[in-house]
Order: sequence, then C-alpha cells, then structure tokens
Amino acid sequence: MRSLKPFGFAIVLATVSLVVAACGSNSSTSSTSSSAGAGTVGTSGFQSPLTEPETGGKRGGTLVILNEQDFEHLDPGDSYYDIDYEVVYATQRPLYSVKPDSAYEAVPDLAEGQPEISSDQKTITVHIKHGIHFSPPVDREVTSEDVAYAMERGANPNIENPYFHTYFESIEGAPKADGGPIMGIQTPNKYTIVFHLTEPKAAIVVDAMRLPLTAPVPKEYAEKFDKNKPSDYANYEVATGPYMLKNNAQGKVLGIGYVPGKSATLVRNPNWSSATDYRPAYLNEIQYKIGGTESVIGRQVLESADDVQNEPPVPSDVQLAAESHKSQLEISPGAGDHYIAVDNKVGPFSNIDLRKAFWAALDRKAMDKALGGELVTNVMTHFLYPTVPGFEQAGGLAGPKGPQFDFDEHPEGDMAVAEKYMKLAGYPTGKYTGTKTVQIVGATGNREPAAEIANQTLKNLGFPTKLTLVETATMYSKYCNVPKEEIEVCPTVGWAADFGDGQAVLDATFNGRLINPTNNENWSQTDVPKINAAMDAAESIVGIAARASAWAKIDDELVEDAAAIPYDYEKEASLEGSQVAGVGDLWNSGLWNLSFTSLK
Amino acid sequence: MTAYIVRRILWGIATLVIVCALTFLLFRVLPSANPAVLRAGRNPNPHAIANIEKVLGLNRPLTVQFWDYMKDVVLHFNLGYSFYSDEAVRTLIGERLPATLSLAVGAALLWIVGGLGVGIISGLRPGSWLDRSAMGTALVLVSAPEFWLGLVVLLLFAKDIGVVRIFPGAGSYVGLTSNPWNWFTSMLLPWFVLAAGSAAIFARLMRGGLIEAMGEDYIRTARAKGLRERKVVRQGVRSAINPITTLLALEVSALIGGAVLVETVFNIPGIGRLAYNAIVEGDFAVVQGAVLVAALFVVVANILVDIGYAYLDPRVRYS
Repeated sequence: MRSLKPFGFAIVLATVSLVVAACGSNSSTSSTSSSAGAGTVGTSGFQSPLTEPETGGKRGGTLVILNEQDFEHLDPGDSYYDIDYEVVYATQRPLYSVKPDSAYEAVPDLAEGQPEISSDQKTITVHIKHGIHFSPPVDREVTSEDVAYAMERGANPNIENPYFHTYFESIEGAPKADGGPIMGIQTPNKYTIVFHLTEPKAAIVVDAMRLPLTAPVPKEYAEKFDKNKPSDYANYEVATGPYMLKNNAQGKVLGIGYVPGKSATLVRNPNWSSATDYRPAYLNEIQYKIGGTESVIGRQVLESADDVQNEPPVPSDVQLAAESHKSQLEISPGAGDHYIAVDNKVGPFSNIDLRKAFWAALDRKAMDKALGGELVTNVMTHFLYPTVPGFEQAGGLAGPKGPQFDFDEHPEGDMAVAEKYMKLAGYPTGKYTGTKTVQIVGATGNREPAAEIANQTLKNLGFPTKLTLVETATMYSKYCNVPKEEIEVCPTVGWAADFGDGQAVLDATFNGRLINPTNNENWSQTDVPKINAAMDAAESIVGIAARASAWAKIDDELVEDAAAIPYDYEKEASLEGSQVAGVGDLWNSGLWNLSFTSLK
Repeated sequence: MTAYIVRRILWGIATLVIVCALTFLLFRVLPSANPAVLRAGRNPNPHAIANIEKVLGLNRPLTVQFWDYMKDVVLHFNLGYSFYSDEAVRTLIGERLPATLSLAVGAALLWIVGGLGVGIISGLRPGSWLDRSAMGTALVLVSAPEFWLGLVVLLLFAKDIGVVRIFPGAGSYVGLTSNPWNWFTSMLLPWFVLAAGSAAIFARLMRGGLIEAMGEDYIRTARAKGLRERKVVRQGVRSAINPITTLLALEVSALIGGAVLVETVFNIPGIGRLAYNAIVEGDFAVVQGAVLVAALFVVVANILVDIGYAYLDPRVRYS
C-alpha cells in the first residue's frame, strides 16, 4: 500500500506508467505473463523487469540518477515510498526481499532460510545469517537483537512506522508498543528471532517481513538518535546492504551522502560480503541529482550515456522513446490501478443497480486513452491487478465472465446495459430523475481527463453533478479519505500494494471493518458482511496458490457488488541512458534496482 | 531623512510579522495535507497520528506554536527544523541562498540594463525598424510564461538536449566560488528566462516615457539653447525613469515568484525550489522560513527603492 499514501499517489500513480511482462529472453523483447500469470498483459517489444538480465553485468562505474522529487524518509523504520525504497533496498537487508523479476515471491535476505511457522500459525521462527556486518562506523556483526530493535522502534512515536500496526499488530504486545521491548518478539540466541502472535495471522506477518522495517538497526548506536523528536537516525544511518550512504568517520550522512533537495551519494559498503547475498552489486557508486522537471529530465536521459530517470517520464518522452530510443525504454506491468470510488453507504450509489449502470455506461477505453493509451495502461475489469496472485483466476485482462457481469463486458461503454440497470434501480425512463446533486472530487493534473469523463458519463445518465478538482493530496486528506464529507464519487483514486498479495490489494480498500472516520482508504465504504467475512477467512490462509484462489473469489464478489468502478491497470515507464543496463523491480513499479543495474 | 528610514524599517518589521502570521494560518487552516497524516502512511490509526502530531509539536494551540516560532526567530534566528530531513531550516535556506541570489541579482541586472537600454534606443527612434523589432520581441517575451520559455530555450540551446548546443543546460549549476566561469555560463539561460518578461515591460515603459519626455517644452528649450544632444537625452531619460523606479520594487516580488519556476526548470538548488517542494510535502517549517526570507527581500527592496526614488527625483521630500 506504500505507493498509495498521498505523495505516493501523486507521484507514482498520477503519472504515466507502462506495460508488460514477459517470458522473453533478454532486453528488448517481452510478450507478457506476469509471475502471477497475467496472460496477455503487456506491451511487446520493450524491456521489462521480467526480461532484463540479472547476471553478467559489468562491474564498476558510476550511475547517475535524475530525481525530480526529493526522498521522504531513508530511515528503514519509516521509509514508505517507492523512490525511498530504491535506496533502502540497496543499503539495507530486511529478513526477506524480492528479486527484480518477481512481484511477490520473497527470498531470504538477512534470514538464513524460509521462516518456520507453527501449526497453529501463531509462532514464527526466523534464523538469520552469520557474518553480516554493519557498515562503518558500527562495523560489528548483525544479531537477532538488531532485528528486534529495528521492529520495536517502528512503534516509537519518534519514528511511527507507517505499516507497523497494519501488518504486525498481531504480534503479542504490539498494539500497545511504544518503542520499548515487545513481548511477542523474542531472541533466544544471536541468530534466532521468534515472533509470538495473538491470532493465527502468520501469513501476513511473514509477507510483511520483506518490508524495510525488519532491516537490522544497532541499538547502541541508534538509540540516541531515536530519542530525538522526530528521530534523526536517518542522518547517521548505517547499512547492511551492498551500498551505504556516504558518511564521515562519525557516521554522519546529512550534508555528506545526502543533501536534502540536492543530491545523494551511495558508495560500496566495505563490510558487505557477496558470499552472504544474492545481489551482484555491479556499480561502484550511485549519484542522485535531485530536482528539475520531468520533461527536461526525460530528454536528458535519452541523450545521455550513464543517466537514468527515476520518476515516470512525461507521455511525450515515452512516445519519443518508444519510436526512437526503444532500447532505452523499460515498461513494467503491475504498477497498481485506478478506479472510481462510489459511495456505497449514502446517496444514490447505495443502490447497487445505479452503480452497475454507471459502470456499464462508462467508456473505460476512452479513459485509458486519455491517460496515455495501451502503452501505459490496460483497461481494468476487476480489482486484483496484473502480477498479483489471483489476477488470472479472477478473469485476467478480460475480466470475470457470466451474465451477472454484463455491465463489465463492454469497456467502451454500453448504454443499453446501463439503461437496463437504471430501470432496475427504479428509473423507468433509463435516466436518473432524482434531485440530489452528485458530488465528484477528483485530482488535478494528468488524471483530470478521467474525472471529466466520469462526470460526463453521470450527466449522460441524467445525474445532476458538481465536479471539484483539487491537488491529489488534498483530494485524499480532505475529501475522499473522510467519509463524513459524503463525496459520492471519487474518480481518481488508485492503489498499489505493498507486496503482491490479494490481501494487500483488497483488504484496506474494500473491507468494511477498515472504514475509518479519517484516513479512510475504503473509499467506496464497501461494507458487505459476506465479503468482510470472506476477507477475514482469507487472511489466515497460508500458501501463494491457496491465497490467490481465495482472494480471486473475493475479487469476483466485489465486481458482482460493483463496489467501485475500475478503469485503469497501471504500467510504468522508465528511461535509461544508452550505456545503462538497467534492471527494474517488478514489485516496485519498475523502479531501478541499484544492486542489479550495471553500465555497459 | 533618518526618521523616515527608521519608520520604514519598523513598518517593514511589522509587515514581516504579518506575513509570518498569515503563512502560519494559511497552511494550517486551508485544505492542504496534514504532515502528521502524510507521515503516518496507510491506514494510520488515530493514536499514530496523535503521536506524530505530538512529536512535531502540531498538537499545541496555534497561538502557542506561533509565539514559540516567533520567539525562536527573533531571539535565536532559529527558523525551526524540516519535518522530513530534520535539518535546520536556517541551514537549508543558507545553503540555497547563494543560488537564488545569483539568479535574482543577475536577472535584475540583465532586465534593468537590457530593458532600459532597449527602451531608450526605441524611444529615441520611434517607428524605426529597430524600434519595431525591439517592441515586437518585447511583446513576445512579456507574453511568454517563464516555465514555457525555460523549456523552449533548453530545447533550443542547451548543450545536452538542445537543437543548437551552446549553453549549459538544466542541472549544470555550480557555485560561484567553486568555478566562476562554469557558474557564469550555467546562469546565462536562467538569467535570460527570468529577466525576459520584466525587461520587456521595462523596455516598453521606458520607450513610452522617453517619447513623451522628449516632446516636452523643456527639452525643446534645451535644444534651442544649443545643449548637446547627449545632455538633452540624459534629461529626458531622467524624467522618464522615475515611474519605472517605482515599478522596480514591485518587480522584485515577481522576480521571486519567477525564481521558483526558473529554479525548477533549470534545476538550480535555490530557495524557490526549496519552498515549492516544501509546499508539496506539507513541510510547514521550511515553507514558513522560505516565505519569511522572500518577504524580507521584498521589504528591503521596497525600502531601498523608496530611498532611491528621492535621490533620482529631488522633488520628492520625506515627511
């Protein structure tokens, strides 16, 4: 869910992204098929994280990354933004991590092997590797106590990790944790950490162990920084990964390896051993240049040798690259989705047939075209998106089939079907005759066309409407995230999960138990007891296939309920210089994996 | 004179306090992103948000927050700390001030010298091809938004992406002290873009004022008495320049606004870009500091212009 916090949204999902997957061989071909079996999702002819070679890179050199936006948090304890993750996963080693070509399958990183889960799913034991050391000035070997401290500090108010309570709440003592020892986290020896849960939720806790919060932090070094309000450990942080933020002898990073708003420099971590890691770490140094504007950055990268662009390029640059610099364009599928949230609780769309009428009438093809077309989008037909396990079982790109899904059948919109549902909703003429003005709040910027099309569709169905366009962050924080505002339609909300799992995609966004008075992300306020119960049951299921199947069924039910109106599966484009052998992370919207990227 | 200057300075300080208070209020009352919520991430519970508000000091009454802020500013010149990087705002601004000053001072010189020069030439030869082409160009420049003009000149002349690759492009800024020549060349395009609109306005005003002045009786008299044309023109220019001096103070505000855009397009690490990013991130402390510094520049510029006005026009008396 990382990318969906307001900033993430604004930058990641409110921009262009691209395509595809693949089973191809090397850099320039792909046809698609996500690890989850996305079928035909993709844009052929472009490299993607699924096709970029992860081995055989040339060692050495300096990569220059042009970042329009600054980082938010580089502390593994509160990092929660895809561009931050790019640095954090190059410098830190959480218990598990995901290889570039996978969207969901975590492999042991700091951990020695897969976690041991008790039969009642309430105890998780993880053994960590021997011989992993912190970077200077700490230098000592990492122990399980460092992992315990890292997780405990996530509940420290001075850090307040964004997902601690979402995924680790079931750890004994976690709900009341404040940064001190958590009863349910035990370290019986230097290389073993045990988690005791109050509920059988081992599956989601294990899934979340790939997040940066489980990357070790040396207590004796970090504690003094963590006492500051807020913690300034990030300005002195040490690394366990192949790279570290450049620092001085005292460990200070601020002003040396990271100058806010200007630059960041990653250098090799002298204490990192390739024998303990699956990452090749080809590059000697990585330099971030922060600032500028994406339209200029895109051109600079296309003309350069050693530069890459971090944010999604502007549509004109994507087009230019697709036509004239094909080998410098990466397109990554599974970068999230966008849909129209419609208030299921109050107002006209509490009537399921009106929701279905709106869905049927909407020209999703026109919307996707306005958002960049097939190069960067696929028409969305249901709520699990490509690369997430369960996507194929839920119908793949074509969507679920059957007469009960007739409103989903015509992506270009079908007024006859819409009329049918308007009549079922009690409007015999096929047009809405109520007096209630539908409040629509959308985001300004490149999502505006989607809001306009949604508005026009409602007008065509006879609804009086009032469309308000505001900044993305305001749209969420003041309107769409606040149920009492009673915004009937939020046409530009989107979601990108923390990791490829149905729960991470559907739970927060459609589980009735998670409707909050503020910061609500169940934007449609979907609260169907049957679906809530199915989600609760699915949370405890262990195993990728079984979970995929369970969440695919929930996806079907959400579509049948027309809980929201989907229109766009995101694909993300990235640009690289002519001499860069970039490797993107499928699980991180195609952003560059610095430990696999090399120079030609 | 001294009393007048002291009074203007006191008014200036009052203006800064009002600007501070308005900025403070604006970012807390109007719909914008709550930094505690932004920092809390997905599905934060109210407890987490309350904790962050406490850590950031956002849970205290607004009046207390403002009083503490002003106290720190006045007594220690402490502008607070960035919510994101925890860096002192004073340091952040201090690091960026040279870049913004480079940009603003260079652009101001360019627009004054260029704008007035073109205006004088046009004003002395109204209707000539030089006048027509200069005023035509001025019309184009005054109509061109800085952001657009910046992109155009980069795509035309930048060494890395331009059609005719002459000048260093975006991201090429280096400090004056580290490499004066590279600093100078890297600032040429940004100076031009930032100065273009104002220079065009100045040129048009100067031209109009000069044409009017050169038709006045005292100019005719001066010529009739055999004064050299150079001296006559000087009299005319002096007369025409007064209203433009007043405009100069107003243009300083426009300059700061334009600097935000130019710094963004050319990736110059200045205060404008710092402020823009802080607004986007809801980093109130940085926004507050940047606005205060910008307001300080405007106030100081206004005071200087007021004083300079009297120098240029002896008829003005301070009272």
